[in-house]
Amino acid sequence: MITFDNVTKRYPGSHEALTGVSFSIARGDMVYVTGHSGAGKSTLLKLIATIERPTSGIVLINNQNVSKLKEATLPFMRRQFGMVFQDHKLLYDRNCYHNVALPLAINGITGHEAGKRIRAALDKVGLLAKEKVMPITLSGGEQQRLAIARAVVSRPSILIADEPTGNLDRNYAADIISLFKAFQQVGVTVIIATHDALGSAGTTNKVLHLNHGKLEMAMAENAAPQSTGAVT
Amino acid sequence: MNAWLYQHAQTLKLVLSRFKTNMLSTLLICLAIGVTVALPSLLYAVLDSANGLVSNVKSESQISVFLALNHDDGLVANISSALNKEDQIKRFKFISKDDALKDLQAADTNKDILNSLEKNPLPDAFLIEPKQLDNASIATLKSILSKLDGVDEVIVNGAWLKRLNALLALGQSALTIVAALLAFAIVAVIGNTIRMQILTQQAEINLSQLIGATKSFIRRPFLYAGALYGLLGGLFALAITAAVITQLNQALAPLVADYQTNFALRLPNFSVSLIICALALLLGVIAAYFAVSKSSSQT
Repeated sequence: MITFDNVTKRYPGSHEALTGVSFSIARGDMVYVTGHSGAGKSTLLKLIATIERPTSGIVLINNQNVSKLKEATLPFMRRQFGMVFQDHKLLYDRNCYHNVALPLAINGITGHEAGKRIRAALDKVGLLAKEKVMPITLSGGEQQRLAIARAVVSRPSILIADEPTGNLDRNYAADIISLFKAFQQVGVTVIIATHDALGSAGTTNKVLHLNHGKLEMAMAENAAPQSTGAVT
Repeated sequence: MNAWLYQHAQTLKLVLSRFKTNMLSTLLICLAIGVTVALPSLLYAVLDSANGLVSNVKSESQISVFLALNHDDGLVANISSALNKEDQIKRFKFISKDDALKDLQAADTNKDILNSLEKNPLPDAFLIEPKQLDNASIATLKSILSKLDGVDEVIVNGAWLKRLNALLALGQSALTIVAALLAFAIVAVIGNTIRMQILTQQAEINLSQLIGATKSFIRRPFLYAGALYGLLGGLFALAITAAVITQLNQALAPLVADYQTNFALRLPNFSVSLIICALALLLGVIAAYFAVSKSSSQT
């Protein structure tokens, strides 16, 4: 459902963030994007989420060439994705409930139906009791989980998370990873960028390892632990 | 269609709740807009009322032709036939000096003076209503009339009216200019307010764009806010205008009583009120649109 063919991304006035990257991700995959800081992980995720367009090469999302999409159709493309941002991007002027409500409002879902879905999402990440709490008072792990609730509330077919375990201690990080696995098990394609090996260790998942913007390996199976182990 | 309406209703609800949380600043902004809109509205009310006064008077625009005091008996008939031939005259009326005196005597205040006179000091006169009311044709008619034998004086009664009309025309162009300038002021005030709101909601806007909000979804609440600022400002303006006019009419009452008319400044009627509110609303939307498209082109 996601195919990159020889994709290069260069930001204006900067070096190439990604160079000649090719891979494909199938529906229901759980994929780790690994690499050092600045390797191009975030850029890769932004290209998948159609937040950025490639400088050259082809990005196909559900068989649609992102480069050829009109500006006006991009928002609808983006609604297929649930995004967990590196900096969470929580809105601190409203409580947890209303943070999670935003993607639904964008999709035109409000009222009773929205309420049900928001509570279901909050329940899934264990924050149902805190729906009226302002996000600033949440711990780092709770904020991360709130961001995940917001990403999944509109039931996206693809879940993208940029460093979701970044600043968390190991226990929290393991919680979060198992949360993502639960989504994968119900058919959601999950793509996680991480600079540490924890998430991918001991799993049979696909790993995309980036080094200075180049894809070093795109592989499945148990090769993952060794490859990421080398990075950390 | 229903979903579309529902979305708009939701937006309105959102904007109203934002207004409610910033009640004081919202009120102050609307008041500022109200005062700004009230100024041209008041000017309009004054001009409109004065115009009404003038249009009542218009039909009385006449030329008076006074004959020499001591004239031959045949003169009145001569002039009558001359006036009949003049095609610029709509109709005319002869008022003999005796009739004029009777008219004057009818008014109580003049009795003592008139009784003290030995003979009637008034001349015979013709009241003439011209066909054309513009300056040039009245001037031509006046010169023709003054050349007639036995005519002592020709007075154009509408001269002051012309001056008043010119003054009103001046007032009208002043109104246009003031309204245009203040429209700019309103666009600036609302535009700046919306720009500040966009800045405080920049995080939400950026996030919404990243997770698939369309431009119109992001723009909509701000357009609604602009429209509501305009509309509330327009309503404030109507209230201010009504209050000021009521106050002015009270102050005007003794003055008006002296002139024995029942002139009063008119409140803007329903359609004018509607237009004022609609214009204010439109300006709000335009201001918001500019503010939003300016800030969205930056991101």
